[in-house]
Amino acid sequence: MQHAITAPLKVEQVNLPGSTLGISTKAMLIGLVTIGAGFLLDLMAGPKGLYHFAHAYLLGYFFCLTIALGALIFVCLQRLTKAGWSVVVRRLAEIVAGTMPALAILAIPVLVFMHQLYPWTHEELVANDAILLGKSAYLNTPFFLVRVAIYFAVWIFISRSMLSLSVRQDDSGDLALTHKAERLSAPAIILFALTITFAGFDLLMSLDPHWFSTIYGVYVFAGSMIGFLSVAILGVKFLQSRGVLRDVVTVEHFHDLGKLLFGFTMFWGYIAFSQFLLIWYANIPEETIWYEHRMSHGWGWVSLALLFGHFVLPWCGLLSRQVKRAEKGLVFWAAWQLVMHLVDMYWLVMPALNLAHGQEGGPGYAPAVHSGFPLHVLDALCVLGFVALFVGLILRSMRGVSLVPLKDPRLGEARAFHNF
Amino acid sequence: MNPMEDKLRWLEKAGDADQEAPQELHGLLAEFETPEALLEACTKVRDAGYKKWDALTPFPVHGIDEAMGIRMTILPWLSLGAGLTGLMIAFALQIFTNGIDYKFLISGKPFISVPANIPVAFELTVLLAAFTTFFGMMILNFLPELFHPLFRAKRFPRMTADRFGIYIESKDPLFNRQQAELMFSRLGASALEPVLSPTKRAPLPGVIHGVGLTLTLVALIPVALAVKSRFSKSDQPRIHIIQDMDFQEKYKTQTAHPLLYQGAASMQPVAGTIRRGDLREDGHLYRGMAGDEFARGFPMALTQEMLVRGKQRFSIYCAVCHGATGYGDGLVAQRAEALAEGTWVPPLSLHEAVVLDQAEGQIFNTITHGIRTMKPYGSQIDVQDRWAIVAYVRALQRSQRATLTDVPPDVRAQLSQ
Amino acid sequence: MATITAGAATLDNTGDDPRVRAPLIVGNNDYTTITDRVCAVVEDPKVRKAWLIAFLTAVSLTGMLFALVGYLIVTGVGVWGNQIPVAWGWPIVNFVFWVGIGHAGTLISAILYLFRQNWRTSINRFAEAMTIFAVVCAGLFPGIHVGRAWLAYWLFPIPNQMLMWPQFRSPLLWDVFAVGTYASVSTVFWYMGMIPDLATIRDRAKHPVRRFVYGLLAVGWRGSARHWHRYERAYLLMAALATPLVLSVHTIVSFDFAVSQLPGWHTTIFPPYFVAGAIFSGFAMVVTLAIPARAYFGMKDIITMRHLENMNKIILATGMMVGYAYAMEFFIAWYGGNEFEQFAFINRATGPYAWAYWIMVSCNVISPQLFWFKKLRTSIPVMFVLAIFVNIGMWFERFVITISTLNRDFLPSSWGYFRPTLVDICMLIGSFGLFFTLFLLFLRFLPMIAMAEVKSILPRPAAHPGNDHSSSSHTSPSHSELH
Repeated sequence: MQHAITAPLKVEQVNLPGSTLGISTKAMLIGLVTIGAGFLLDLMAGPKGLYHFAHAYLLGYFFCLTIALGALIFVCLQRLTKAGWSVVVRRLAEIVAGTMPALAILAIPVLVFMHQLYPWTHEELVANDAILLGKSAYLNTPFFLVRVAIYFAVWIFISRSMLSLSVRQDDSGDLALTHKAERLSAPAIILFALTITFAGFDLLMSLDPHWFSTIYGVYVFAGSMIGFLSVAILGVKFLQSRGVLRDVVTVEHFHDLGKLLFGFTMFWGYIAFSQFLLIWYANIPEETIWYEHRMSHGWGWVSLALLFGHFVLPWCGLLSRQVKRAEKGLVFWAAWQLVMHLVDMYWLVMPALNLAHGQEGGPGYAPAVHSGFPLHVLDALCVLGFVALFVGLILRSMRGVSLVPLKDPRLGEARAFHNF
Repeated sequence: MNPMEDKLRWLEKAGDADQEAPQELHGLLAEFETPEALLEACTKVRDAGYKKWDALTPFPVHGIDEAMGIRMTILPWLSLGAGLTGLMIAFALQIFTNGIDYKFLISGKPFISVPANIPVAFELTVLLAAFTTFFGMMILNFLPELFHPLFRAKRFPRMTADRFGIYIESKDPLFNRQQAELMFSRLGASALEPVLSPTKRAPLPGVIHGVGLTLTLVALIPVALAVKSRFSKSDQPRIHIIQDMDFQEKYKTQTAHPLLYQGAASMQPVAGTIRRGDLREDGHLYRGMAGDEFARGFPMALTQEMLVRGKQRFSIYCAVCHGATGYGDGLVAQRAEALAEGTWVPPLSLHEAVVLDQAEGQIFNTITHGIRTMKPYGSQIDVQDRWAIVAYVRALQRSQRATLTDVPPDVRAQLSQ
Repeated sequence: MATITAGAATLDNTGDDPRVRAPLIVGNNDYTTITDRVCAVVEDPKVRKAWLIAFLTAVSLTGMLFALVGYLIVTGVGVWGNQIPVAWGWPIVNFVFWVGIGHAGTLISAILYLFRQNWRTSINRFAEAMTIFAVVCAGLFPGIHVGRAWLAYWLFPIPNQMLMWPQFRSPLLWDVFAVGTYASVSTVFWYMGMIPDLATIRDRAKHPVRRFVYGLLAVGWRGSARHWHRYERAYLLMAALATPLVLSVHTIVSFDFAVSQLPGWHTTIFPPYFVAGAIFSGFAMVVTLAIPARAYFGMKDIITMRHLENMNKIILATGMMVGYAYAMEFFIAWYGGNEFEQFAFINRATGPYAWAYWIMVSCNVISPQLFWFKKLRTSIPVMFVLAIFVNIGMWFERFVITISTLNRDFLPSSWGYFRPTLVDICMLIGSFGLFFTLFLLFLRFLPMIAMAEVKSILPRPAAHPGNDHSSSSHTSPSHSELH
């Protein structure tokens, strides 16, 4: 039974200072230049280089996309459940999700490099492969483009509506806006569930077009939530270091974010284990091949790193209440999980590079050519470039926007929030 | 009070004995009407320095831990320890039972299959942690505690319903009844009650001892029976509570049957029936024996095809150890020599006198049953092929000690050139 | 949880003004009335007629169930309709159905507790009781399905005369551990939650036998704050342990099917899909039971419309998840390109069991869509009918999964049409009898609402001002006992 805190907020608590906003342009420039440098580098490496660049670009891109998607579903869930505690961090999530139009533009290179990424775009290969022929009603270039357009249309619509409903309330304080956002959230979550699932199938699962798993969409969702929650914890800490959100987001809110991070770490482990166990146990070659690629030729170490680094260690680390409430402890594990989320994405995308190389030349669907572990400077350039670009995009969207929903009817409740 | 309740007076009487015993003051109970008043009072009692005191509430009151200065319990650590123990037990149990003590292959999975062990490991972790949480809470709270002087206080019953209380025990070094009463009055207690307890608890009624003793003895009977049967021998068949098809209503061999031919339960075989094993009557062909001795010579005529077949089979089964020419220099033997582990018994050269002097039947027998470290090949190579190998071995032996007379006369001239 | 402000006197608390949290308990209740109302059910000296009729009906159905179990054990599992290739017939369908029902209780007490959903306090007690009784019904079926039920101890790792151990790589053995752990932990959790309320009943009891029995059950609880401290910590720990436990149980039940290679069973989405389905059916059962119980025992202001509405929202949400899983199964069956998988799914929707499939889809996916409308999800008759539909639909879901896959074997020569026997049907009905027998006994003899928890979410009355110096006048009657 806490009584709402209604004391007014100071400007420096809610608006990012100009000095920090200034970083955004620089960060975006650095990001673009880094990715561009990667592209030039791959041109020098010959035709194979283009393959590597395409995959590295997809890796960096999908990493940022999952974070934005995690933010989007976070906003919808908080709206749907009429949550009180999360109001103070909801604006950050709205802003991260609000970068969706920019992410849609950044998806264009993925479509340009489709041929290098997706074996099912090779026409003669499909013609000679009964399985791919059977899927060609779904896996074909025009339909793929239409689907990607639909996904982004849905995401842009939801994220921009949520952001605008929330920002408009900052001025008017109109309660109808809260109702509107809550009413939108339920259908939005359904649309979100379908789009993130099929986006996962299309952009990642079809890298190996023979393979399939019904749980894949849930897996992508679990990873997205880990990605976003880590970013939220790190982001709020960063903003607080710049003076914003101080005394608004308290240790209680960090504790809750930490609990959610802990919960989704467990959820990710549960989903990953379910998928692995069922495929391992049934031992059907057409399914096990996907894990075979990820458990041999050096990839076994990455798989183990995921098991321990993305689940066992952070689970143990975040178990304790003290750690979740300790400033350094939570930041450490959030940063750790963000890096491990990147490793997870790397683990999903990069083994397909060998498969893509295998399709070069031959008319039949060739098994992956293992050239060992394809770690390359391109990966680093694309990932770092995307991180810089994404940070810049987010900071840029903070211009002129209050970082706290100032007139949200539940703000007082959120500020007074205490864990039991 | 109805007669039924009258009969149950003995239950009450257990308490009456305590009521009639000399009493002493056990503590002072103060009643409060609201949680807010209680919290305020708790803070004051804590600050006054009392140690042996407690608050009584019908539900967990938020903020009372701070108000009373209760320190965090160690319960979470107990649960964590129990959970880890459960995890260890589960893995140890599964690895020991399916991986070490009783190995059996199932759907091609390794004996120690960690992914398949995770569900049970998880369940046992939760089981032990949850039970430890519950029983740990009970033990740390000294529950069950079926008698407490408070239970006889008039004001106490409402404290599990809608009133709040503070209870200071007289054992507290600071306890002084007048001071405590004064303090509670100042704190707004709605009622005060001194709580008494008998100086000496009345003994339990004899009937409870009797029942307890009887129950204990009865409970020991099955254990005693189990121990007895564990250490005694019997020639009686075990008691079959459930028959499990061990005793079936059927006619066995050598018993009479009223309806069947000649009154026998099992019929005679029809004329011309062959006994099991009768088809392998030919000792020479199937066992390489002539009476009690190894047979010399072949049970069949030697042909060119047989030698060719024998060479092919020899190359498949024998040459890896004995070598293509039979000198015991096959690839396996060479590798074993190179490893020089000391456990290797080199294969015999087929050109040693021992082998040369053996009857064909003995070589056949060696192939069938193996010898020393050579494994039996009877199950892999059928009878005809085994004889073919014997024939080829003979041919190999002869090839190594051939004289000019073995060469057909028409080609001798070529050799001498 | 914000303070209760307005509308405490009205029974409608389904408003959604975002500025205030709607009251969870309506009708001017306070600590005293909550205690009196809940305890009155247990303390009622008269046996009410409707309860008695329901109880006797349930008991006779239970009698039928146990008679049939005896018949089955004496005769063998041939009395069921199970026949190769459908070796798992109704008994397994019933098992999965009841285990699924048994998910809502622990979910309400554990997961909603961790999510600080205070509305759980009015319904968690009897949802937990429902869980345990459903698990009892569930445990019965695999127990007798093993054929020689007297050898069921082989399922446990007990050193035995055969020097053999159970097969830990089998999901059926995982089930033994999962359901066993779930049943025992849920029971402990339920009992632990009940201890303070049992103490309340003990302290109100007039009759010495009542006081003795409830006194034993309450283990000497006296509401000490030091006890409460450890109790609350233990409750939080139990909730944290029960949350993954409840997920693991139906996950492992789904493994029974999904680790195999059968088309229609081997699908990676099975674990979360089964869990969502279990929550879905469990909540539907809670709504089905809560509606008559709150009306009959006059608890409409404690189990309010808001509670029912919230549960209906969860039914809608989990129904959508189940629908998502149905859709994904179909899509991947096509996308995977395995003709046997494709056949299995087309056969489900158009084959001999298409009627069961479409009952499942209409009850589980289509009919809950009505809950999008606030008017319908706050209407008692509509939600009662829909909750029963969901129960029916979820039974058929397990039927479709089990029967329609098994009945189309890889060998077309063994294809047939599964028909349950009379014993199958009567056992399912009898299991409801067992469930309701236990549930009705619970309603009558144990506190059906977690009084202590409900009291903790009531708004606190303000401290009495002016009480400070007046208590010297309170002369406790027991002062005289000092003489």
